[in-house]
Amino acid sequence: MTPPAAGCRTGLFRTVRKHPAGALKARTVALVGNPNCGKTTLFNALTGLRQRVGNYPGVTVEKKEGRLALQDGIQCTLIDLPGTYSLLASAPDEQIATDILLGRASHTARPDLVVCVVDACNIERSLYLVSQLLDRSVPLVIALNMVDAAERNGITVRLRVLERELGVRVVPTVASKRRGVEELKRVIGQGACAAGKSRQWRLPEPVQRECDELIGLLDEHHQLKGPDAFDEAAALLATDTADLERMVRYDPVLRDHVRRDHQRLEFLGVDRRSVFVEARYQWIRTLCAEAVSQEPRNGDTLTHRIDRIVTHRVWGIVIFAGIMALLFQSIFTWAALPMAWIHDGFDALSLLLTRIIPPGDLRNLLVRGALGGVAAVVTFLPQIILLFLFIGVLEDSGYMARAAFIMDRVMGRVGLHGKSFIPLLSSFACAIPGIMATRTIENSKDRLATMLVAPLMSCSARLPVYTLLIAAFIPARSVLGIFTAAGLTLLSMYGLGLFAALGMAWLFKKTFLKSSVPVFLMELPEYKIPSIRSVLVQVAERAYSFLHRAGTIILGASILLWFLASYPRMDGALPAQRLQHSYAGLAGRFIEPVIRPLGFDWKVGIGLVSSLLQREMFVSTMGTIYNIDNANDEGGQASLRDRMNSDRDPATGLPTFTALTAVCLMVYYVLAMQCLSTVAVMRRETNSWRWPAFQIAYMSALAYGVTFVVYRAGLWLGLGG
Amino acid sequence: MTMTNVQPHTTLANAPLGRAVRITRLHHPRKEIATRLRELGMCENALIRCVLRGNGNMICEVQNMRIGLDNRLAGSIMVTAPEEAGTA
Repeated sequence: MTPPAAGCRTGLFRTVRKHPAGALKARTVALVGNPNCGKTTLFNALTGLRQRVGNYPGVTVEKKEGRLALQDGIQCTLIDLPGTYSLLASAPDEQIATDILLGRASHTARPDLVVCVVDACNIERSLYLVSQLLDRSVPLVIALNMVDAAERNGITVRLRVLERELGVRVVPTVASKRRGVEELKRVIGQGACAAGKSRQWRLPEPVQRECDELIGLLDEHHQLKGPDAFDEAAALLATDTADLERMVRYDPVLRDHVRRDHQRLEFLGVDRRSVFVEARYQWIRTLCAEAVSQEPRNGDTLTHRIDRIVTHRVWGIVIFAGIMALLFQSIFTWAALPMAWIHDGFDALSLLLTRIIPPGDLRNLLVRGALGGVAAVVTFLPQIILLFLFIGVLEDSGYMARAAFIMDRVMGRVGLHGKSFIPLLSSFACAIPGIMATRTIENSKDRLATMLVAPLMSCSARLPVYTLLIAAFIPARSVLGIFTAAGLTLLSMYGLGLFAALGMAWLFKKTFLKSSVPVFLMELPEYKIPSIRSVLVQVAERAYSFLHRAGTIILGASILLWFLASYPRMDGALPAQRLQHSYAGLAGRFIEPVIRPLGFDWKVGIGLVSSLLQREMFVSTMGTIYNIDNANDEGGQASLRDRMNSDRDPATGLPTFTALTAVCLMVYYVLAMQCLSTVAVMRRETNSWRWPAFQIAYMSALAYGVTFVVYRAGLWLGLGG
Repeated sequence: MTMTNVQPHTTLANAPLGRAVRITRLHHPRKEIATRLRELGMCENALIRCVLRGNGNMICEVQNMRIGLDNRLAGSIMVTAPEEAGTA
């Protein structure tokens, strides 16, 4: 390996040299790099953690921290920063990275050492960020990642040349295979990790002269020095002359000077806006000409061949629709068997408890309350696993960015750009990461519009509600020989969510979130075979989270609901009467006048209220109250869907649920904001209660209005029977 | 590689498919977009190749990176034939 690099000139370096062993006592090490260069994979390899990775830009939108144990026993905090192309941030996620790197973040101290992850297949672009970090005298190590892919593409990197020219250590790595990780740890632990050679790139002479003058004025009038003064001078020279009038924070003398600079440079024919980037790239190109060589490519790459089909103007949409249809179809067909096993398992447990525990409140509490509520939700675990398996494969393969590319035109019609589609697609899994993924959107109004509509996408918490109602009330009929009515109903619920999200986004963008026409600009990563480990880790985490909720919140709420649905005691009354006069029944009947126009009775009312916390609570609530309602059914032999299907209003003898009621309930759940966690995330991301309050209000009104129309239309069409 | 199909000065939106062209000027009205394009390597004098055209958008190769961009944005990037053939 190449010896330690020269050119260490910062204060940090002096500290390092004072250390007796020559080792860097770095307390905080930050990982930075362009989006999708493998930072999170390297973070996981260095820390042993399991942060989510994906093959599309913008997976990491906030900093993540882990412990890094170096070979000499030194423990460091390793921070994984969101990807950024430059220190001039243009989106909230990039701002987080820049603020931490430059020591501007109030919540995080400036890192003692930065590991810049450079994609070996894209060195030229990555060196732009590296050169900015060098200019800022940031103590730096370069992890040249994905060197195996570079080798396959015929790219040769001369590490010694790079190290010599940059003045920092360059460690080749393949993070996904843990190659080079131990060497990187060793280099991080060495004292040689200091700032490299700054400002090697040269501006044209007249620009440099104006820049130097401005730096002097910034020092004199605003006490700005060093790289801060240079960056400010560069920004002032590149800005529009007309904008100077509005820059009242600057001294008038300085503004006059900048105005004259603009005139002089324009007279000389210098493009002020591009000269800084161009000069930096000029140096990078010269460096790459010496340090990097690439064999000429023969024929089209695999990525290009796949893109030719999946981004085709017709086939692209057909393939996208086909993938979505397969996803929802498989959720029903492939999950059926494991769901039946889980159901049978809970039935067996229920029977066992019924035999062991003597009749009474304790047995009722355990069998009908706790087990009934939890079993109703846990049965849907296979469907949740399948959903996340599909999403994981789509993310890791690189298809997600193509979905955004294909959908750009559709998104453009509602005033958003294709980039908004990834947060919306992520919201199929959960609205919380979806809302956080909007941090990659540069325009604040586009971002807010995307956040406001993201919870309309059908998340995994809605899936148990949909599948319970579909299995119970939608006939098992084949459609076109390959699809089933159940699969298509599920697809249409997801379609309704997407349609509502796009419609509301259009409305918001036409009214109070008007902004300039969005621009689609997005890196499309190479396709790769999804990493089984990465996908399975993600699926396992989601499954654990689902089971954890079932074992904590839902278990607790089921016990509480059992109590509310069982008391006050009415000895001698029929189970249905007891439920009707219980505390829960009273609450359900209290809101019944409000929900009756939607076709819902008081039992559904109990479900709607309990699921304000989280949507899948509806299923556990139904599980609990139908267990209580069917007290004669020992051990839960009949499934919840059978009980709901056979439930009749004691007064009228009419079924409580019909296919129309089921559809109305699903429509309500598609459109209503029934998730407190999403409200909390909206509050955090918008830094105010105003937008979450607005979101709850508009979604509630939309859910009520659309459900009412669907119910009335259904009755008018004679579907209410 | 011959560059006979490239007009002396045209936009990237009209550049021939599969041919390397050189960026001569970015004139997007929004400064932050122009800056982002430059930072992504789509700066003046860079070689770029349009590889696929879709439904109102296109895929280009700059350096070794594939970038998706819409036709309006591509229309703000002026290109010309490079002095000598090369790959983007």
